[in-house]
Amino acid sequence: MEFKKIVKTILFWEILQGMWLTLSNLPPWNAVTRQYPKEPRYSDPGFRGLHALVRNPDTGREKCIACGLCAAVCPSRCITIHTGEDDKGEKIAEEYEVDVLRCVFCAFCVEACPVGAIVLSEHYEYSGYSRGDFYFNKERLLDNWDTFFPGEKGKWYMDNIWKHPNADDYKAHDDQAVFHGIQKEEKQ
Amino acid sequence: MGKIEEYTVKRDADRTDLKLNMGPQHPATHGVLRLELDLDGEIIRKCTPHIGYLHRGTEKLGEDRTYISALPLTDRLDYIASMNNNIGYCVAVEKLFGIEAPERAKYIRTMCAELGRISSHLLWLATHALDIGAMTVFLYAFRERAMIMEMFEKLTGARLTVSYPRIGGVRNDVTQEFIDRAHAFADEFPTHMEEYETLIDQNRIWLKRTKGIGIITADEAINWGLSGPMIRGSGIAYDIRKHEPYDAYKDVEFEVPIGTEGDVYDRYRVRMIELRQSALIIKQCVEKLPRGAILDPNAPKFTLPPKERVMTDMESLIHQFVLITKGPMTAQEGEVYVATELPKGEFGYYFVSDGSGKPYRMRLRAPSFVHASVLPLMCEGGLIADVIANIGTLDIVLGECDR
Repeated sequence: MEFKKIVKTILFWEILQGMWLTLSNLPPWNAVTRQYPKEPRYSDPGFRGLHALVRNPDTGREKCIACGLCAAVCPSRCITIHTGEDDKGEKIAEEYEVDVLRCVFCAFCVEACPVGAIVLSEHYEYSGYSRGDFYFNKERLLDNWDTFFPGEKGKWYMDNIWKHPNADDYKAHDDQAVFHGIQKEEKQ
Repeated sequence: MGKIEEYTVKRDADRTDLKLNMGPQHPATHGVLRLELDLDGEIIRKCTPHIGYLHRGTEKLGEDRTYISALPLTDRLDYIASMNNNIGYCVAVEKLFGIEAPERAKYIRTMCAELGRISSHLLWLATHALDIGAMTVFLYAFRERAMIMEMFEKLTGARLTVSYPRIGGVRNDVTQEFIDRAHAFADEFPTHMEEYETLIDQNRIWLKRTKGIGIITADEAINWGLSGPMIRGSGIAYDIRKHEPYDAYKDVEFEVPIGTEGDVYDRYRVRMIELRQSALIIKQCVEKLPRGAILDPNAPKFTLPPKERVMTDMESLIHQFVLITKGPMTAQEGEVYVATELPKGEFGYYFVSDGSGKPYRMRLRAPSFVHASVLPLMCEGGLIADVIANIGTLDIVLGECDR
């Protein structure tokens, strides 16, 4: 036993083992790195990225009713709302500003909104040259909705992703995921 | 000009010791820790840690936010293991309100906490090895960490600052894909562990840099108030998951590893065994995961009403407004302290409630703060090169230390 140990020490055995592991991971087909800017990365549905104000397809205006719950729940106090009245005397948000640099992307505003008027999109690549680029006003946020949720995508998101908590969360039901054993077939 | 140079040279020659500022922008200090080192040659005579560069006033901010909206603040404490922070916060608030999360939510939380622990320990292993000089482990550990990140992204919508648990449960239910992936990950994780161990476990450079360095005896560990892997490395089997189990920890089986010498290498071994145990806990949680509610149905005064009902039902709408603007108003007057086992050690939340929707006082007991104070004990009398190994073995995160 002692002799074995001495031989291993002389031969740098443990270092050779490490080197072999490194070498065996060297071939390019073992690479796990994503070459990011060339190989874009798409977030999963439900990723908490850039904000958008939902546009109501019936009126063409924002869904927001300017209740201020999003601003109340916001932990970083990054939402500013100024309320006003439209021609019909209904309460609307005259100004709706999100300071994206302050935002912590917790999506509490989405949970708080009683009409489902604000969402977070999957978009995460935004940069600018000045601080002013990141004060998103109402028009910009509505534009985000048109850009990131075109057509029916927005409706699907409202129904499936941005409804927490939903009534199913308070009771057991059959659709809930439980472990059924390892499925060997699925793993290639 | 010449006069000043002459003076400096003369003064330096007279001095026997040297004051060295290490940090706050030193890459091996894991954030913005500054160490003031009094050197005598290569030997450290005095070591003074300076903290506070990352102070954001989290405790004070918590007093200004309702129990519901203070949750994302805790993400930013120990940002390596934000899931564990969130869970600790929710467990503490639940105890204050006298409610309990449903069984399914507890299992999901435990599973996520262990995933967070693995993620945190992997980052510790990667950076600790990188500091000491083993670059390769960094790449391997980050490969597995990215898997956990992607699982978190699928589940919670964020990779790092998850904000996933809620008071009385969790935000959304796990999908079949998630639990299958978690099980597969826990299954194959030990093989990855073997890879890390092949690289450094018996490596002679690693042993030279870690064995007999930064020794803390069991008595010292208790006296300095250490917790987590730091105290277990010194040979004391103290684990809050075992001693005061919260969530589903009383239903899962795991071992608490302890060290014998209390040096850097022992703490490394303790954490490596903990990684394996965490994988086992994940496996058990996935297999035992019951059907049931994920938010407490008996606690409508603490959890937000379902979204469909808010949109249609006036009572739920009013409820939603009151809950968000004023916070959960049914907190009893009093105080509560709940300690949870974070990857770094014992993280305690202490709330003083005056019956309103906001905490009167929120105090955080951060393990990194306690562990940073033990640095002089470990460093003084040692060599300057071992300071890096000592900081690495503490596994401190300055976001949590400075709060």
